Formats: sequence, structure tokens, C-alpha cells
Amino acid sequence: MISLFWENLRISLGSIFGNKSRSILTALGIVIGVLSVTLMGTLISGLDRTFEKSMSFLSRDVLIISRMDWFGGDMDWWELRNRPRIKEDYVEQLREKSQFVAAVAPMAERGGSIIRGDKRIDTRFFGTTPEYMATNESADVITGRYFTDGENRSGARVMVIGGDVADALFPDEDPIDEYVKIGSHKFRVVGVLKKQGKFMGMFSLDNQAVLPFGTFQRLFSRRGWMNVRVKVNTDNYDEAKEEIYGVMRQIRGLKPMEKDDFAINQSATMEAQYKAIKLAIGGTGLFITALSLIVGGIGIMNIMFVSVKERTKEIGVRKALGATQSMILGQFLMEAVLICLIAGLVGMGLAGGLSLLINQFFPSSMPVGLAIGSIIISVVIGIVSGLVPSYQAARLDPIDALRYE
Amino acid sequence: MADLISLRGIKRHYDVGGEVVRALDGVDLIINHNEYISIMGPSGSGKSTMMNMIGCLDSPTEGVYEFEGELVHEMDDNQLASIRNRKIGFVFQTFNLLPKATALRNVEVPLIYANISKSERVKKAEKALLAVGLSDRMHHKPNELSGGQRQRVAIARALVNNPSILLADEPTGNLDSKSGVEIMKILDSLHDDGNTIILVTHEEYIAEHADRTINLFDGKIKEDRQTKKRKRVVA
Repeated sequence: MISLFWENLRISLGSIFGNKSRSILTALGIVIGVLSVTLMGTLISGLDRTFEKSMSFLSRDVLIISRMDWFGGDMDWWELRNRPRIKEDYVEQLREKSQFVAAVAPMAERGGSIIRGDKRIDTRFFGTTPEYMATNESADVITGRYFTDGENRSGARVMVIGGDVADALFPDEDPIDEYVKIGSHKFRVVGVLKKQGKFMGMFSLDNQAVLPFGTFQRLFSRRGWMNVRVKVNTDNYDEAKEEIYGVMRQIRGLKPMEKDDFAINQSATMEAQYKAIKLAIGGTGLFITALSLIVGGIGIMNIMFVSVKERTKEIGVRKALGATQSMILGQFLMEAVLICLIAGLVGMGLAGGLSLLINQFFPSSMPVGLAIGSIIISVVIGIVSGLVPSYQAARLDPIDALRYE
Repeated sequence: MADLISLRGIKRHYDVGGEVVRALDGVDLIINHNEYISIMGPSGSGKSTMMNMIGCLDSPTEGVYEFEGELVHEMDDNQLASIRNRKIGFVFQTFNLLPKATALRNVEVPLIYANISKSERVKKAEKALLAVGLSDRMHHKPNELSGGQRQRVAIARALVNNPSILLADEPTGNLDSKSGVEIMKILDSLHDDGNTIILVTHEEYIAEHADRTINLFDGKIKEDRQTKKRKRVVA
């Protein structure tokens, strides 16, 4: 049967390359289908890996107590608006009342520009305590030092800057012990944070500056946006979260029937939210792109019907010379699969090239599994769309086929 | 030796628009090894059906068809394909070569379906083309060959698998008279070499090449006679 396989391959190649423009047009449907499915998959997996990487800055064992849920879409705006602010003294209360707190730090935040001479950068700066470092594993000081408890308490005008800020304001020099300004306030740079890269490839985590909490409150606002970061000392995050809910309710003095007027956020909530979004985007995207593959498959089926019709006489001759039904079936199935396979490879190649291009703007890379999968899908489409025409060819009556002109 | 072909009470009826067409209506026929037979008859006499029946392209509605002891009328499609492949060589009026394949590859086709290895296929196909005097045209495609040459390729293809019978349907019908004579010479000499040949024709002068002529009329054998022996070319 091996010689029959080679013969069928030869016939199929002859037929495909013998009708070049027809084959190209037919294959185009599959090329586009495979291209869009592969590209979609590539983007999703790129998104996935970026997310994983970006998530590392939000450790799983860190709870962030805020006024609002990160993803509290179903809450009434006024209710959220009227929630009391998170206050500084929650930090100490939490440390005292919760048995799961390993480290806890307040985080006040605001946006603004940092200026040095004629250079400026728009950034976000945080007011926090030295303990912040213990609640954020990915925050490391690469040069210089972090500020001290003393500096925090005294409201010293010192600052630790992110990598982007350092690059922007100190392109060729060591920023340590140099001075920068926020508005009219002068700060001495004491350290530079290690670069973390972009979050989801979109905004930089390195465009930030960290000030002592006391300094922040003194110079800017006591009423600004504030979170409390809690690093828990257990692997049982759910238990810790439950307990901290309880502690927070107690701090807030909520009665048993009253709703929470604060939120405890966690990277897991973000992850769950991300997964839901990914499923929605990915699912719809793949479904829509898969439709184009089906359209491509219909094109293959159509052209195979034409091919069978055109070669009716040849089928009759082959049958007269001893070809069985399965041999004829194999011949046409091979042709359909071959078109799809070639188209699939072309589509995959294009997708690979395009994903390299897209990677310049948005993280994407084609996983090997997806490449293999798209080839398998092409073959399956070839089989599925080739089956009916091939079966029709195989079932032709040799006498009628021989008589066909 | 057993009969090569034995048809007993063969009927082939078609249902055309509710009307039964009796293409073959009770045919009894014995064909022996090394016979040279022509089948004649006006159109509609059942000639083509007879050829399709003998060629195992068709199955009888009723009756018994034995081919070298094998019961053809009981066979399924695959068995019929196999018997066509091994035992029957077809030569068609319109040659029916594969247009994109060379003469050599055309001749190889039956061997592919017989699952014979590439090297042996080429050897056998070359030998068959040599036998019909086309060894210098093996790598030409049909459109590069004359009508007579095409028919010779078809004969080589029919012979390549050493079939028990050569079934020729109007083999000269599409040829000029000179090429026709050539083809008939080849068939005559193939018969002299011991092949069994069945010619289907409506031309008396073609039928005369055969030793025995069967006349069909309305699906029945009207006449089965020995033809005057043609002058044998004895080497």
C-alpha cells in the first residue's frame, strides 16, 4: 500500500499544482482561517504570560485593604463614594489585633511631576513606611538605601525613585544624594528601585517614587487615597483574609447585619477577574476566527466536488484498471488534506512572522503547542471537508464514469 | 482445462423511468482460453452491456457468471475491482489514458493498484511498451503521441498485468484506417502469442479478424459462428 500512498501523493500534488490559481484561491480560505486562529491563540498566550509575570509584583500573600474593590462592578457608586476613608491608624490596629500579620504598611498615593533642573517626569509617588519593603517582594533597592524609621517619623525630605524616574532625571549620573523637586518641595534621592518592567506590557511599574509616609502626609494630603498593605504569615490565605475581614469590621465598628464598607483586594481576585476576561475575549475570539476556518473548509469541499466532477472519466478509467473504492477515496482525501496542510503551514508561517512583528508593540509569542495544534486542525479540516466529495468519487459507478464526457 | 468464461442465463435489466429495459435477456456463452472472439450487434442490442458484464464492470440482475472458476455474480465491489485488475485488460475506443502522465506512468497504473513495487513496475511497464513497439516513446505524454501510438499505450497498459482476457471496445473506432490496421495487427499477434481477445465492434471487417463472431440482438445471442480462419502469419 506504500506505493499507492506515493502514487496518491503524486496525483494530488499534480492536481494541486496543475490548477495553481484555483488551488491558491481555495487554500487562501484556510490560510486566513489558520492565520487568524493561530494569531488569536498567540495573543492570548502572550497576554497570559505577561499577566503571570506582571502578577509577581502582587504577591499572593499580600492583602490590600482599600476603600473599594478592584473589581466591584456591581456596587452602587454612591455607596462606594460614602465609604469611610482608610486611615493610618488601621496599620497599628491590624498589627495588634490580627494574628496573621507578618508586615503591614500604609500606602498613600498621588500623581505629580518630579523635576530636576530642566528635566521633569510625570509619575506617581507613594507615601509609605520602611516596612513596605517587607510587604513587597519585588521592590528592591538596587543602589543607595531605603529610608529609615527615623526619617519616616521626622518627615525627612528623602525619596527612593523607580528606574524610569532615575533614567529620565539622571540619564548619565548617579542619582544618590542628588536633589529633585516635587512642586516647591526639595527632596534628596537616597535610593533607586530595581526595574520591574511593564504591567501587562502597558504601563511601567518603574515610573514611581517612594517617600516616607510622614513626609507625604505633612507635605501633601492627609485625606488622599490610601491603602493598607498586609503581608500574611501563613499559606492559608483564605483563613487570613477571613480573620482580617473580621478585624477590619471590628475597627470600623460594623454591626453584624451591616455590609462591609471597605474592600480586601488580593492578586487572586485580579487573577480570577483576568481569567474571566480572558475566557470571554479568548472564547469569542476563537469562536469567530474558527468560523473563518469553517468557511475555508467549505471552500475546500466545494473545490473537491469540482475536482471529482472534472475527473469523473479518470475515476472510471482507474476503476476499470482495478482501483477499489477505498483507493479512489484515498486519492481524493489525500488531495483535500494536502491543500489544507500546505495552507495550514503557510498560515502558521504568516502568523509566526506577524507575531514577531506584533511583539514589538504588545507581548506575543507563538507557543509550540499552538503551532502543532493548528497543523492538526488543518489536517482535520481537510479530512472533514474532503470526505463527502471523496466518498462521492469512490461510489461512482465505473460504467457511468467511463461514459462521462 | 476449465472454461475461461462461462455465462449462464445472464440477464441485466434496468429500470428506466418505471419501464424495464432488458439490456441482456438470458445469455448463455462459454469462452475458452486463447479464443479470438468478436461481439457484434446494432446499437441497443446489448453489446455494451455484454462488454461491461464480461469486463466485471457490471453485475447481472440474474444468472451465473464464472470467470476461471470464480463466481463473479456473487462478488462485491472490491472483489470486482480485484478481478478487473488481475484478469482483465481493457482497451477503449477513446484510449482513456491519463493526460498528465507519461506513457510509462500510464502503463504502470494497473500495477500500482496491484501493489507492485516501483522498480518492478517500471520493468514490467517498459517490457509492455516494448511489446507494442513504443520503447522510444515511453516518456511522452498522450498529447505528444499520435492516435495509433496512444492506442498502443493503452494496449500495453491492458497487457501489463498479464490478464486472462483482453477486452477491446471498438479499438479502431477513433483511428484513421492506417493506424487501425496497425492496431489490429498488434491484436492479431497478441492472439498468436496465446492471449484471449474479445473485440466489441460493429465493423464487419474488424470482426473478421476474430475466429468466432457473436451477434447480439435485443439482448439475446442471435448468432454464434466460427469466422473464416484468417491467414495466420507463421514465422
